[in-house]
Amino acid sequence: MNVFSKKTASVAAVLSLMIGLSACSGDNSNSATGADSSANTPKNGEASANAPAGGGMYMLGEQPLEFSFYGHYDWYTMPNWGEDLSTQWIKENKKVNVVPVSSGGNAKQKLSTMIVSGELPDVIWLERGADVEQLRAAGALVPFDDYLDKYPNLKEWAGESTLNMLRSPDGKLYQFPNWYTTQPNGNSGYLVNKKIYNELGAPSLETTDDLYAYLKQVKEKYPDVVPFEVGQGAEGVDVLSSAFAENRPYVYSALSMMAIPTGSEMTSVFKDEAFRSSLVYANQLYRDKLISADAFTQTREQVEQKIITGKIAVYAASSPTEFGAIGNSLLSEQDPDAGYIMVWPIHKAGLDKNKIYPGAYNQLGWNVSVITTAAEDPEAVFAFLDWFTGPEGQRIIMWGPEGKYWDGTDAEGAPLFTEAFTTDTKGRDELMNATVNLQWNGNTVYVDNSKMKFESTLPEDKKSWETKWQSEITWKTQYNTTEFVNLAPAGDSNEGIINQSVGEIYEKARAQAVLNAKSEAEVLAILDKAEADAQQVGYSELLKYKTEKWQENLSKLKQ
Amino acid sequence: MQKIAYPARMTTEKRKPGLIKRLARQWDLQLMVLPALCFILVFSYIPMYGVLMAFQDYNLFKGFTGSPWVGIKHFEMFFNAPEFWTVIRNTVVISLLKLLVGFPAPILLALMLNEVRSRVFKRTVQTISYLPHFLSWVIVSGFVMSMLSTENGSINMLLQELNLIHDPINFLSLPQYFWTILVTTGVWKEIGFSSIVYLAAIAGVDPHMHEAASIDGAGKLRQMFSITLPSILPVIIVFLILAIGNLLSAGFEDILLIGSNPVLRDVSDVLDTYVYRIGIQNNRYSYATAAGLFKSLIGVFLLVGANYAARKSGNSLW
Repeated sequence: MNVFSKKTASVAAVLSLMIGLSACSGDNSNSATGADSSANTPKNGEASANAPAGGGMYMLGEQPLEFSFYGHYDWYTMPNWGEDLSTQWIKENKKVNVVPVSSGGNAKQKLSTMIVSGELPDVIWLERGADVEQLRAAGALVPFDDYLDKYPNLKEWAGESTLNMLRSPDGKLYQFPNWYTTQPNGNSGYLVNKKIYNELGAPSLETTDDLYAYLKQVKEKYPDVVPFEVGQGAEGVDVLSSAFAENRPYVYSALSMMAIPTGSEMTSVFKDEAFRSSLVYANQLYRDKLISADAFTQTREQVEQKIITGKIAVYAASSPTEFGAIGNSLLSEQDPDAGYIMVWPIHKAGLDKNKIYPGAYNQLGWNVSVITTAAEDPEAVFAFLDWFTGPEGQRIIMWGPEGKYWDGTDAEGAPLFTEAFTTDTKGRDELMNATVNLQWNGNTVYVDNSKMKFESTLPEDKKSWETKWQSEITWKTQYNTTEFVNLAPAGDSNEGIINQSVGEIYEKARAQAVLNAKSEAEVLAILDKAEADAQQVGYSELLKYKTEKWQENLSKLKQ
Repeated sequence: MQKIAYPARMTTEKRKPGLIKRLARQWDLQLMVLPALCFILVFSYIPMYGVLMAFQDYNLFKGFTGSPWVGIKHFEMFFNAPEFWTVIRNTVVISLLKLLVGFPAPILLALMLNEVRSRVFKRTVQTISYLPHFLSWVIVSGFVMSMLSTENGSINMLLQELNLIHDPINFLSLPQYFWTILVTTGVWKEIGFSSIVYLAAIAGVDPHMHEAASIDGAGKLRQMFSITLPSILPVIIVFLILAIGNLLSAGFEDILLIGSNPVLRDVSDVLDTYVYRIGIQNNRYSYATAAGLFKSLIGVFLLVGANYAARKSGNSLW
């Protein structure tokens, strides 16, 4: 009896285990077979994409619209829709709800998984280039051409030449640009800790020699401060390369481009004088302990922490204003003398400081949104994005709903800012920080002009910190690089494989040159060796490809 | 002729019941094994169809059925890749180091703990030493990075206090230190947990043998080498075979987290990190699968080889 009951108990236990297991395996086989079904989804979607074409206008706000949104970045987490003043207003008045799809810190894997399982989000927000082309070639994207005239904002504000540059090889437009522009913008440059700077007697900070002397002084007097913060991935070292030549933005020698336009040809980055000098300089800084030792491995959060607590003296980055603005308001709250300022871009002695461009902008802006064939009503989604990029949408996402920080508009559609805009800076900054990651299709010209128009009417001490430096320095020192967009080859093409090999050689050489070289000669030797290695894996072929793409762009821009 | 030989054989084998009958007789035991078999089937065997990718130009949208077949193109590319020999060298060297240091370390710890008289002390050491096993590599790598940091890193501060070095050493960006750091960290993290199985094996050794040996005048050390070690040798060999089968798995998370600095890539890039970087980060799935398949094949050969060698000592896996 006893033996029998023991047996049944163990059998029952085993059975229940099995049931649990089969439930798990059920899930697994579903996702496995998803690979096959994904092949069909684009076809289904295409049909529905073509359906609404000839139909009437989609009126935003008449019917509820809900779509899923995926930001294809490791760092990106979409804030919940409707939790801030702006999106709450949109949710209530335009009946639009956006459901976030998280990348979980591993964007590439996430996108691949979504493609294979046939569960694409309705909208993907990503960099232009290979990923977009891959999706387009597979027929997973909805072209916008039929909508462009019906919903006029994008066409009006972006302009024909920008849209032409965005068109895919089949001549259609699939990409909705973000922060597209026709005038310079961008924040790249040098942030300086105001308190330390003034305490050291506000010395001249113009040339690379000035900077070096200043950092030395900081190191001596403030041992717990990082003299020169280079940001995550030592981005600041890249920025420095702009100091060593005129009309040369740092993107030329950044990992994303690795090609130096010389005459009508692209040439090797390893032989570029400005790049080489910048690494010699950075290596000197590193050997003198003016750059933190974990420059290449630190996380974004570590950088942010240092900056908002004022533990840096100079910070060079592609967007130092982002942490700078937070740091400035936090630091100046505790001590009115503390905070951050920006300085005119550093240049090598002998160069014209008005021809130094630490940053770059291009007409196409930063990144793009694409609408996939998974979207039930792509026209409605486009209608929303188009409204979002238009004056009304921009006013709301940038400065909140009408009535609080702005009330009414002037003849040109620029918002009329209220008293609260300047007095309630804390609430305003909070709103802006909450919505910054929801600005998916920023309209640079409209937003910048509205801000500037207003700022120009304010006394010096009331000006927004960020806008002040943008108007005084950064916008004047960003270079137009529209002709160099889309130079990156697809990852699995022959050039893509070369690009990757060269990229690895580049990353290694750059880190070695800064961290491990013991003298100028060693830095240069590392770069010479990198050049030889890169040629071995076919760098010249890659440069040829980039030259061709560049020339294509030039002819497109001339149209 | 055969007709005559056949029934004769049948009669000799008749004593053993048929397979099905034997299974039916132990149905309750078999039922217990079944979930494990299902588990292996579902999670290890069924996904194996994925290796087909290695012979295709796999396209995410087209799937297995639509992607073109390209034969061994990706294997050729892998063997001719400029990184190939560096990656293989790193994988083998790191693995061998881990095997050389990491494999005997828990055995040594188990032997030492076995000799500890105080139960409380033994338990405490055991608990403390196996705790790190439950920490994720993200946390462990955080420890390592802050300990080895040049700014306020405890190791550098200690070395400076002892006047062994003048300036702090940037351990994590100097290639010559990487392997040592990696192996040491690995041992620290896993030594306690791995020693549990050896402690269990030691506990199973018949105490009469120790008594007999001590009457014969064998000291503690003599007993350790002549009784304890030979008694747990079968367990050690089984684990060694498994470890050798994994020789090309030099680690992944630990290397990815501690060796992320590109300056270390010459010494830190192993097969698994290479596959991850190329395959996932650059969407070259077929190529990454080919590299992964290559690794698995070598693993199978090593496992079979090690088992063959062990069979001669009578302690093989199968």
